[in-house]
Amino acid sequence: MSSPSRLTLALPKGRVMDQSLAVLRAAGLRLDTGGGARALRYDAGDATIIEMRNADVPTYVELGVADAGVVGKDVLLESGSQLVEPVDLGFAACRLSLIRPRGARGTVQRVASKYPRLTADYLRRVGSGAEVVKLSGNVELACVSGLADAVVDVVQTGATLVANDLEEVDVLLHSSARFVVNRAALKLKHETLRPLIEALRGLPGSF
Amino acid sequence: MSFNPPDGTRYVLPDAAARRAQVVGTLRDLYRAWGYDMVEVPALERYDAGHPRQAQSFKLSDRDSGVLALRSDFTPALAQLVRAEHPAVAGGARRPLRWQYSGTLWHAIDPELARTREFSQVGLELIGVSNARADAEILHLARESVRAVGLQPRLEVGNPGFVRALLDAAAVPDDRRDGIADAIDRKDRRDLADLLAATPGGGAPSGAAAGDAERARQSLLAMPDLYGGTEVLEHARAVAPWAAAQREIDRLAGVLAEFEDASELMLDLAMARRLSYYTGVTFRAYTPDYGQPLLGGGRYDGALLPAAAGFSIGVERLMQATRARAAAPEPAPRVLALDDPAARVLRDAGVRVVRALHTDAEEARAEARDLRVPFLLVAGALEPVEGVAADDDERVAITALLRGAGPIGGGA
Repeated sequence: MSSPSRLTLALPKGRVMDQSLAVLRAAGLRLDTGGGARALRYDAGDATIIEMRNADVPTYVELGVADAGVVGKDVLLESGSQLVEPVDLGFAACRLSLIRPRGARGTVQRVASKYPRLTADYLRRVGSGAEVVKLSGNVELACVSGLADAVVDVVQTGATLVANDLEEVDVLLHSSARFVVNRAALKLKHETLRPLIEALRGLPGSF
Repeated sequence: MSFNPPDGTRYVLPDAAARRAQVVGTLRDLYRAWGYDMVEVPALERYDAGHPRQAQSFKLSDRDSGVLALRSDFTPALAQLVRAEHPAVAGGARRPLRWQYSGTLWHAIDPELARTREFSQVGLELIGVSNARADAEILHLARESVRAVGLQPRLEVGNPGFVRALLDAAAVPDDRRDGIADAIDRKDRRDLADLLAATPGGGAPSGAAAGDAERARQSLLAMPDLYGGTEVLEHARAVAPWAAAQREIDRLAGVLAEFEDASELMLDLAMARRLSYYTGVTFRAYTPDYGQPLLGGGRYDGALLPAAAGFSIGVERLMQATRARAAAPEPAPRVLALDDPAARVLRDAGVRVVRALHTDAEEARAEARDLRVPFLLVAGALEPVEGVAADDDERVAITALLRGAGPIGGGA
């Protein structure tokens, strides 16, 4: 937060970064990101951009180091951060599901996930006493290797499930990318953020 | 044995402690000037399952099998004090009590994301009166608090009473209200639309009234965008023609009318946090270049007392937000004294004077060098300490204080 209305945006690395830049440009921000390797934090014309892992976006925005950012609803809910989330950008659509080996029956004893908070909430809601194991990646491996008898993970096309003989048995939530805003920034940089929010909402696929 | 304090607590060293005391003192003086009297409440409370923050409080077992809780919020503690000492006001008598407080609170939470388990607040309550003028006084003092510590204020002001009036008009059942209010507060139109679509009509009657409830649901969908300047009041009036909703807008308009300059205020009618607690105007204060609220409060008539409003300031956040503007750290004491009567003269004049731990002048000189104190006071005379940078003007000024008192003190 340098000049009174200049924005700092927290964007996740990877494919979502390109999609985020595309919608922000479509909403009228002039963002010159150059090419090739970039610094972690760089001046891109109308905004300063900071790049990070998607799970860190809510933290940067909640503490106001970034004024706004783009993050999946699944990651946002897992973080527990209290942010303003005025636009559903529609892309990066997926569902967070409970997955088991195909045909598995019987009580689930242990569930592995990158989403321990959402998994625990879900298990409580359905009255299961299963324990939760937090993993950092390749969660399906937990099922395949026998570390856990179920996993909670993101399903986009379902190809990974088919390849590993797994099946989706319940859907915890549907997710898509959200434009999230720090509460203080929404009030302090209102003149910049409000028109941006309205423009983002007007894009096809947004709500 | 660890020398570190428990998780979520910390030591405050001299420079930071001095700055905290100064900021807290500035706020206390401000509230005192507005007629708010200092009160104190115990840090040990009787455990109460109905306490608004009972889930977050540290519990202790008392010697007689009773359960105590560490103070987790000043407002319920002050309400208890009103019930004990001003039962008439607690019973609804309209008589203003203006109180301020400052002290430590404890929350039994995971110390994550810039939250500590032990923290300090300064705040005030205006109890026993409920009208737009009282709301405006609280809001005004919130703004002055931020200014008083040298920061530029920006206040967001809302009225959960308006949200509640719309939820009533839309016949939203009680068990759905918290979820819907939360989506409104986050300005999450996607969640809000999904939640409203999944909400049964409740006890909505058929016919014209059902059409009215449907219209109120449309109005709820517009809530997230009702933020900005005073033009928001007119939008809100147009969106919510129901009498109860209009009364809440009138109250907010009445509060704003009390401000000669509303440029530092921003309305946000989507503020819907703690809907069952806050009943009227609520607010938070921000300052540029700091991403978290400095203070928050509002009116909570009927929640703990028949009529009350107030706010509290997080001292730790205020310290972070003012860090860039902090004055130079407090200088070391100026004088090391071997002469007690002369030292008293200087202390009375506001000079920081340390009493020497040695009686021998040479040892006292070494002591002064270790303490980085620039002057030694021996037998009524001030001498510069070798090796410590000293300002000759300061020497002259301190010497004048010693002379001014006169050799026999206080005489004509």
